[in-house]
Amino acid sequence: MGYVDVSGVRHTLPDGRVLLDDVSFRIGEGARAALVGENGAGKTTLLRIIAGDLVPEAGAVARTGGLGVMRQFIGSVRDDTNVQRFLVDLSPPAVSEAWDAVEAAELALMEIDDERAQMAYAHALAHWGDVGGYDAEVTWDTVCVAALGVPYERCKYRELSTLSGGEQKRLALEALLRGPDQVLLLDEPDNYLDVPGKRWLEERLLETRKTVLFVSHDRELLARVADRVVTVEGGTAWVHGGGFVSYHAARTARHERLAELRRRWDEEHQRLIDLVRTLQQQAANSPDMANRYHAMQTRLAKFEAAGPPPERPPEQKVAMRLRGGRTGVRAVMAEQLELTGLMKPFDLEVWYGDRVAVLGANGAGKSHFLRLLAGQHVNHTGEGRLGARVVPGFFAQTHAHPEWQDRTPVDLLWHGEPGRPGVDRGRAMAALRRYGLADQGDQMFRTLSGGQQARFQILLLELSGATLLLLDEPTDNLDVLSAEALEEALGAFDGTVLAVTHDRWFARSFDRFLVFGADGQVYESAEPVFDETRVQRAR
Amino acid sequence: MALAVLPTVPDLSVRSASTRLAVEFPELSPRSIVLVVRTCREDLRGSPADALPELVERLARQRLRVSLP
Repeated sequence: MGYVDVSGVRHTLPDGRVLLDDVSFRIGEGARAALVGENGAGKTTLLRIIAGDLVPEAGAVARTGGLGVMRQFIGSVRDDTNVQRFLVDLSPPAVSEAWDAVEAAELALMEIDDERAQMAYAHALAHWGDVGGYDAEVTWDTVCVAALGVPYERCKYRELSTLSGGEQKRLALEALLRGPDQVLLLDEPDNYLDVPGKRWLEERLLETRKTVLFVSHDRELLARVADRVVTVEGGTAWVHGGGFVSYHAARTARHERLAELRRRWDEEHQRLIDLVRTLQQQAANSPDMANRYHAMQTRLAKFEAAGPPPERPPEQKVAMRLRGGRTGVRAVMAEQLELTGLMKPFDLEVWYGDRVAVLGANGAGKSHFLRLLAGQHVNHTGEGRLGARVVPGFFAQTHAHPEWQDRTPVDLLWHGEPGRPGVDRGRAMAALRRYGLADQGDQMFRTLSGGQQARFQILLLELSGATLLLLDEPTDNLDVLSAEALEEALGAFDGTVLAVTHDRWFARSFDRFLVFGADGQVYESAEPVFDETRVQRAR
Repeated sequence: MALAVLPTVPDLSVRSASTRLAVEFPELSPRSIVLVVRTCREDLRGSPADALPELVERLARQRLRVSLP
């Protein structure tokens, strides 16, 4: 069993702004704590401080029981990392260091096969055994079978980029939950998981006896799993000791209490200032009042030195204005459409104004279907067509826009692109302000949080004049408030929406449900279907 | 009382390595090959059992090779 104790932590951004100050909380043994907050509030930074990646400017983090960390980027790994390296990196430091030593010794042996190199290799292997490396390999085999359906020996050299986002997440979660570390930090563990995957995650988190601190925006996951909620807002953090069900009421009550304390402080401050002024006038006429005047001045100075109580955190305001426009009655038509190797041929008609949730298992071809409608090249037979005046706008699942990485949102808005005219800085900043991105206008795109990147993509959709929104997991990185704003904006959108989603709460706001079954059948359902199992393919 | 004695219990990693190395180094006597292999086995004690035969044989081969004129 392990715990995490955060005490008085402070972190300042490179531009001098204080992101976190006086952050203190404890996650006791066996607790399942959710870490919530608006996009960019500092959740990931706080996790990085707890993980030891960042050194806090002030304060300390104490923990016991070994720390396992699942980082946010898992699910979108696109480099040449293979399964073996991935599992090594998720292992306790002693195991990963011993692994590196074995690899180094093997390389040295290939270079010079002398007695010294052989003894070094033997020692590295002995150390590998001593730190539990062979046991770790047995665990990895179990993990690979559970997550990917194949033994470790068959998949260890497979590149992670060939796995879907959900498979990458599942692999990491299996490794951490079965591993020896007793404290787990999970940064958005449910992203990229389909609904059966999320349900599996909920069950595993409920049954584990490990201490878990996790970031998630999935309200169903939060409600089922979290037994306490740590909120990062207003530059600090506070803890609600109950579950997510009572969280909103607790947060509202806290905000009202903070506002009341601040109001009382302001009143007392004003009263003391008035008293000092009155006594100052009286002291001018009566030397007897001089002592009282000086005493009151001292009291005011002490009061001001103690400082006001923290302000009520400002509410994030996100106003999305997805306008759209009238199109032909038939917005999307598919006739005997089959994406090669992914599904059986299907027919579909989507009418102007429809809100279609595309549901189903990971790997069933949902994202490819959206890409095809967006005009990208996807191998297929049959036909998929858009109706008259239908202009597609595509929101990509993994935010894979390498060409944006080193550009700022203002720059991207200024230059525009085919189908989206550029706007001047004033209009760009006004639009960014509505999306809560005014402070990030001149930041590089790659430095934005996942939620900020997602909001920026939605802003681009707004400016593109799309009349058909093709959204691939749009709420995955959005905080709860932004997701609600998106839902509101979609409600007001004059056009057609097709959204791939595994967000149960978001899906229920749609009125048609297109399900991609694990058996390759594509069918419509009157109700959302969340229990399609994972597609099984030969590996 | 002897302070250190080389193990006399037959060991698979010693026996199989000795047999192969005797074929590889016909100019050396089988007795000296066995002695070198046993010494290597001792030097590598603590190594994982599964890896031991290979480690012993490689190390012994290396030592025998450098002992040749």
